Formats: sequence, C-alpha cells, structure tokens
Amino acid sequence: MAVEIDTRPIWLILALRALRPVFFAVLGLVFIFVVQMPTPDGLTQAGQNAIAVFLLCLVLWITNAVPLAITSLFAIVLVPMLGILSNKDTYALFGNEAVFFILGAFILAGAVMHSGLSNRIALGIMQRYGGSPKKLLLSIFLLAAVLSFFMSEHAVAAMLFPIVLEISKALGLKPGSSNYGKLIFFSLAWGCVIGGVATFLGGARVPLAIGILKETTGDTIGFLEYTVAVMPLVIIMLFVGYFLLTRFYPIDITGVESAHEIIAKRIKGLGKVSFSEYAVGFVLALTIAAWMFMGRQLGLAAIALSSVVVLFVFRLVRWKDIEEYVNWGIILMYGGAIILGTALDKSGAAKWIVSESVGQWAGSPWAVFAIFSLLAILMTEAMSNAAVIAVLLPVSIGLAQSLSMDPTLVTFAIAVPAGLAFMFPMSTPANAIAVSSNYVTVRDMTKGGIIMCVVAWAVFNLVAAFWWPLIGMGY
Amino acid sequence: MGKYLDNPASLKIDLMLRGIRMEDPVVKAWACGSSGVDILLPQDTLVNIPCRESFTKGSPYLIKRRGERYFITDGKSEVPVKLVQRPAFYGKTTSTGVPFSDIATVHGSYTVVTPSKRCDFFNRSIECKYCAGNFNVEGASDRVFSVDEVVETAEAVLKEGASKIIYLSIGFSPGDDGGIEFLRPYITAIKKNFNCLVAVEALPPKQNRWIDETYALGADSVLYNLEIFDKELFEIICPGRAAQIGRKRYLEALEYAARIFPNGTVASHLIVGLEPPGSTCMGIDCLTEMGVVPVLPIYRPSSEKDLSISPLTTEIIIPVYKHLYKAVTKRKVNLNWVRDISMVTTPAEIRGLVDESKGGLMESFYKSRLGMKTAWGLSSLRRKLRVVDKDPDGSEH
Repeated sequence: MAVEIDTRPIWLILALRALRPVFFAVLGLVFIFVVQMPTPDGLTQAGQNAIAVFLLCLVLWITNAVPLAITSLFAIVLVPMLGILSNKDTYALFGNEAVFFILGAFILAGAVMHSGLSNRIALGIMQRYGGSPKKLLLSIFLLAAVLSFFMSEHAVAAMLFPIVLEISKALGLKPGSSNYGKLIFFSLAWGCVIGGVATFLGGARVPLAIGILKETTGDTIGFLEYTVAVMPLVIIMLFVGYFLLTRFYPIDITGVESAHEIIAKRIKGLGKVSFSEYAVGFVLALTIAAWMFMGRQLGLAAIALSSVVVLFVFRLVRWKDIEEYVNWGIILMYGGAIILGTALDKSGAAKWIVSESVGQWAGSPWAVFAIFSLLAILMTEAMSNAAVIAVLLPVSIGLAQSLSMDPTLVTFAIAVPAGLAFMFPMSTPANAIAVSSNYVTVRDMTKGGIIMCVVAWAVFNLVAAFWWPLIGMGY
Repeated sequence: MGKYLDNPASLKIDLMLRGIRMEDPVVKAWACGSSGVDILLPQDTLVNIPCRESFTKGSPYLIKRRGERYFITDGKSEVPVKLVQRPAFYGKTTSTGVPFSDIATVHGSYTVVTPSKRCDFFNRSIECKYCAGNFNVEGASDRVFSVDEVVETAEAVLKEGASKIIYLSIGFSPGDDGGIEFLRPYITAIKKNFNCLVAVEALPPKQNRWIDETYALGADSVLYNLEIFDKELFEIICPGRAAQIGRKRYLEALEYAARIFPNGTVASHLIVGLEPPGSTCMGIDCLTEMGVVPVLPIYRPSSEKDLSISPLTTEIIIPVYKHLYKAVTKRKVNLNWVRDISMVTTPAEIRGLVDESKGGLMESFYKSRLGMKTAWGLSSLRRKLRVVDKDPDGSEH
C-alpha cells in the first residue's frame, strides 16, 4: 500500500471531503431539473432526457469523479430507464463491431507482447540503427512511432520505457540536466503519440469513433482509407517533432557505446527467436494485411476475432497470459459511449443541440472542421481521448448532417486530433511515463507540447485541405 | 503522615525508585515471576513497585495486610492501597499451548504484547546497557508468536477488560522500516478483529514513509524511545541505537510522527536516573517542543550492574517530573493518551505535584468506557480522513 498522510487541518479535509457528496447531490439535482423542465420547441422528451444523460456523463467524464467505465455503465442504465431507447436496443448496441474490434486488438497486442516479439523488434532496431547519439535518438523516436502503428501507444510506451531508462542510466545521463536524457524520453512519448494516430491500432479511439459513426449514420471508414488519409500528418509531425526536439535540446553526448552494451545484453537475455514469436508475428502480419485489403468485406472485428481464435487454436497463447493486457474498463467505456452517441442521434437531441448552439457560428464545412478539430485537440490535453470522442462526435455528426457535410469528415476531425496530446503528463500515459523518468519535467513538456499542439492542428487542417481532395475526400 | 505518603504522585515516584518490602504471602505470590507488584494508590494512581531487585531490601516501605485490606507504611504512617487483581488470562494458554502471560503483560491502561523477543542489538553485542534482557535472543530462543496467537491474546485481554489499549513492542531488526513490516500483519489483524486502540513501540524507520505506513495501518499511537537525551551518554549507554539509527534520526522521526499522529499520541521514553536531571529536562523541552510526550520511567538497577547517577533520590527527580508537567501543559500536549500506566509516572499523574486540581471533565470522560469508545471512533475517523491512498482506481486515457 502506498499511502500519504494529509496533514492539513481536519476542518479543511472534512470540508473537501464533503465536496464530493455535495458535488453528486448538485449533479443529481441538475440532472432531475433538466429532465423535468418544460421541453423546448423542436425537442422531444426523449431528446431532452438524452441531453440530460449527455450532460451528466460530460461532467463525470471531464471531472473523472468516477472511473470512465463506470460513467459509461451509468449511461447504459439511464438510457433505457428514461425511455430514450428500449432496453433491447440499448444493450444490443453494446455488441457493436467497434467494441469487439477493440477486444480483438487488445488480445492480439497482448499476444505479441507476451511472446516477447515486440521487445525483440525494439531491441533489434536499436542495436541495428542506433550507432551514434543521433541515430539512437532517431531509432527510439521512429521505433515508438512505428510500433504504435500496430499496437496501443500506451502499451508501446510501457514496453519501451524500461529499455530507454536503462539506456539513460548506462550513458550516465543526469535527470533534470541532461539534454540527451530529455531527448530520448521526449522521443519515446511523442513517437508514441504521433504514431498512435496512424492506424486503428494505435489506440481504441478511432474504432470508437467509427462505431458511433456507423450506429448514427450507417457510414464507416476503412482501415487503409483511414491510414492513407492520416499518414502525411504522421510523417510531417515526425519531422517537426524531431526538428523541435533537437533545437530545444541539442545533443550533449558524443558516444553511445555503453547503451549498446545494455541493448546487447538484453538481446542475449531473450535467447533465440522462439516458435511462438514467429507464429504470433505471422498471425499479426496476416491480420494487418486482412484489415487493409479485406476490412470492408469481412469487417474489422471479424478479422481481429478470427486471428484471436487462431492464436488459441494453435496454443500460441493462453487466456491467463493475455488477460492482463485486456483493459475491460476501456471496453465498457466504449460500449457506453456508443450507446450515448446513438441515444443522442436517435432521439434528435444531437441535431437540436447543433441547431441551437454550434450551428449558429459554424456555418461552413471548413469552419466546422477547423472548430471541432481545435476543440478535440484542446480537450484531449485535459481529458480522456475516448471521452473527447464521446462528447464531441455525436454533436458534430448532427451538425455535419444539417450542413449536408460528409459525417466521416467530422469523424476524422475529432478522432485524429483526440489522439494528439502533447502538453501534459495527464494528457496521455506516454507523456506521464516520460515525466516519471525525472529527465523530462512538466514544464519541459508543456513548453514543447504547446508548440506541437498548435503545429499539429495547423498541419492536420492543411492535410485535410490539400491532401484529402487528392484521395477523393474533402469538405 | 510520612514524607511522601500524603501525595500519591510523589509516593509513586518514591516507590518506583526505592521499591517495597513484602511480608504478606498473597502479595508475594502476586509478585512471583513478575517485574514488580501492581498496586492502586489513593486517587486511583496505579504503580508497579519493584520488589525483587536487591535495592528494594533497603526500602522504607512495607506492604502489609490487615483483614481484607492492604496498607503501605513507611514505619511512621500508612496509606490504604489496593492490590490490583492479577489478570485471569495470565493463567490461560493459546490454542497452541503458549501461556498468554508469555505474550502479553498488563501495565494498567495498556497491555504490552511482544510478538517477537528478538533484538538484533544483542546479536551484535551493541545492546542497551540498562536492558534487563527482555529481548535477549538467547533467553527467548528466537520465538516469534504467530498472528493467530497474538490475536487470541488480544481477545483474552479485551474480553477480560484487563486493559483497553494493545501495545505492540519489538526490538531492533535490520532494515529500513524500523520493524513495521514485521508488525504489519499483527496490527492489521488486531484492527480487523477488535475495536481497540493500538500503540506501537518500534525503532525509528530510516524513511518517513514508514511512519505514514504505521499510521495508515491502524496504529493509534507510536513510541520511538530515545531513552537518553545527552548525546555522549546516549552513545555510551545505547551503542546500538546510536550506531544503527542515530540520535538525530530519533528526533527527526519523532518530530515527523508528531505531525502525522494525533496530538499526545507520539511518545518517547527518557529514563530518569541514567543521565543528569538537567539533561533530562532539556530532553523534555526538546520533545514537548515537537509535540511529543516525554514518558519518564525510573531506572531500576539490577544486581549485576548499576548505571544510575549518584545521588539518585526522590528529592532530585521530583523537580524533573514537575518540569515535565509544566512543559506539556505549556505546549498544550494532550495528556489523555499517556496515562494510568503502572510502569511510569505519567504527566497527568504529576498534576497532583504541581497543583491541587484533579484534571478536567474531559480526562474523566476519556477514562470511562464511553470515553474509550469515543477515542477509538475519533481515532478511526481521523485516520479515514487523513490517509490518502496513492494508488487510486485509475482510468485509462
């Protein structure tokens, strides 16, 4: 048990503790008030109830007063209870393809990590390409990014952290003062963040966004289609990130021989490539190929789950091995978010919100895209990227429909920036991991993060404006 | 009346210093195998009087029986006293056959439970010079009582109402935690099973986080016994404590603990008689300044060694106790926790030496059954409010 003793005066602690019940009581009263107030013109009672549930979840997601998954469960309870959707429809939405795609992706990533394949690839690349301080830095940056194409960025950061920490110790880098120490941990964090938006696999937020899109409009986005649309942003941000980092923190070491010894030692410790590494690698490669070329026909979730079945049929992994890699909380959260998004859409609440608020000042598709992507990139710095999607996407899809704009575009406008969290440790676990090393301070992260955030938003809008029309997209 | 017989506080000090002679077979039987005999003096002042050590043979005090009543006399006059009933559980054993009296000793309002008789200072020949060998590894043959045995003992103590506070005490063991990791299962089990207060006597841990852990685990009071304030005497008499922990760390840990634990629940022994009174007074000032309650046991020389300062008389040490009372009241240190202990004269008892008041309403309340329950409830509530789990239920971003 890790504990801390709060030594503030007891009256102050009591007052602060009382805030929580008071907060929930006020929240409950506001919720009841919104449900009971006269229904405005153009809104049905079900829509009003959906807005009440949406506001409740919005506050709980933003404040994190209860875990995200529990807020989602609350939404699942309230939606049928208030007559917004039937019980049957509500719980059926939990069987959404996106939820099962996420589950399959977690299990696949778990199998890859458990087999040791991801670790071996990481160490192998560092040994092969990290011959000088500059090359080692670049290999960490690109490795974090590229691995995040295929696995959750959080998992990549957690996997690479001990290796990078050991390298920093082997090089004798002093926490707080070493530029190279800052560089390699920033590379780890930013590499994961940038690479995490490249495919559906970098985080579960894109599947969530697509799940909401599909439930509300019936449209979807293909695996390859998404990656082709986003890849220029990823490439440009990798260049910008590397450029900014090396300008902010010039490399202050001359050799990396000791780091190589550590990497070599770790590779030696892994032994020879095992059969399960080969086999899991093969299944993963096959799965990605299927997602890219047969995703629309077979369905992403079906491909992911088929691969999972293959892993178990050939005993490449055991259930207890991958159980720790499956984040059931996030699966519950996503299921609830999809239900809430659908409830807002089906009840007409999303359209009403748009017509009464955002619609007044977001009159053109371009403005909608710019505003929602800006909101998403700012909100994700302070709250869960999944919550950003759950909050913004149903409303923005409603707005897109009212402007006769392709809803897939606003899905991009929110899903992609929601992953670009550079500023704070709480923005994303990769940032938190970098700061926990003590080489990168919160101040360092905020300073660099603000610039990255602004550049990322601008580049994303430029890519949407100039690249997407070339591939048949665009507003 | 005799010189000290008219004042229970001064009589307690004089009795502890000089001991008592016994004639009555009942009292002799009581004291058999014990460190002393527990007597209730007037004004409910509880004292454990040395009666077996050789120095007691010259004591002016004699305990005698007249009918069913007991008296202490100094030859000129006498005061009525009561012989404290020997706890019934002393005669019983745990389910594993260990006599409860091997595990626990009642000292008035608290019962000392010693889960392990080990003190590694003995293994390294750096034990405290005054130590009577309670923790001598040779004598105790490394016996560690199990959590179940200790819980059974605590149950027996509390069921009988022998005392209301379980006082867990251990000797030195190597490590940074001061022995808290060892005590963790005992504290947790006692707190889980009984609504009682728990005090912990241990060695100061190397890092303050262990003090946080001690409080979070459920300890309501903590004692890090410095024993001797004088720096040089501390190094000579307590070589183990000086070398392995250091006087500076003792004071740091006590100061930190006083910020974490409730007012009046952090205490430290300063043995009277092993250093000059002036030095003890300086120690009292230093500890009370931090909010720590100095507890002043009187040194009991054994027949083999006598480390006491000379002359050591009641006239010399009473001013030290008066100084203690004035210091704790000046610093507003709560006196309700450290009270009614037979082995030491507590600050609350010294009130009778300084003024005629008998303590406030609160003091009487906390001595009552309801008061103890209230103390337990408040202590538990305070812990609930102050302890913050640093690993809260996190959510994935």
